[in-house]
Amino acid sequence: MQITKSTQAGMHVAVMDGRLDTATAPVAEGELMAMLATPGLVLDMTAVRYVSSAGLRLLLKMAKDAKGKGAKFALAGLQPAVREVFEISGFDKIIPAFPTVADAAA
Amino acid sequence: MNAELSLRLPPETASVSTLLDALESFADAHDIPMATMARLNILADELAANVAMHARGATHFEATTRYADGTLTFSIADDGAPFDPLAQASPDTDAPMEDRDIGGLGIHLVREMATSCAYHHDGSRNILTLTLAARAE
Repeated sequence: MQITKSTQAGMHVAVMDGRLDTATAPVAEGELMAMLATPGLVLDMTAVRYVSSAGLRLLLKMAKDAKGKGAKFALAGLQPAVREVFEISGFDKIIPAFPTVADAAA
Repeated sequence: MNAELSLRLPPETASVSTLLDALESFADAHDIPMATMARLNILADELAANVAMHARGATHFEATTRYADGTLTFSIADDGAPFDPLAQASPDTDAPMEDRDIGGLGIHLVREMATSCAYHHDGSRNILTLTLAARAE
């Protein structure tokens, strides 16, 4: 998993590339949690091929942490396999996801 | 088309990466659609992680993938204490964020995404087998 930092409309953006799974989620956690600050963080997941439950665990932790900090937290560019996992797990109802980073940062 | 990949690995987290890398190469080599490969890897991650983190007394696990007639069959066998992960309760996927607990979500994905899945114990090993129909979308 590679993570590149950028900004969009004042929001922090983490561009992610790879897979968010059992082995990579714990490694990505430190870097992503450190980026979670006001006004908010968008994860660009266009290049994330899939997310397993270990990745969902991290995303849930981030969503809860963002709420505690009063920061916005959103996802962008979910691939079909990621969307499917979100729908099955009910995460589509608890973490906002948008087609593009611009939409998510708006 | 008839292809098979079999790996015998130690029950640790690093093995999950080894398995997923091998499955991606296997999918590439046999023109398995990307969407199907992604599903297979998600489910392989869940099952291998389950063994790596929870199988008491396991010394190894063996993951076997077969691709024939548009269907993938994936099985994972471990020599740990008898345990049926499919017997776990499903999580409440309608709960609000504050109440969401992540336990059981991996097996929930396996149950929901696999075309079929089954557990049996052959006297010395836990064996979990699932099938996935290859789909392009």
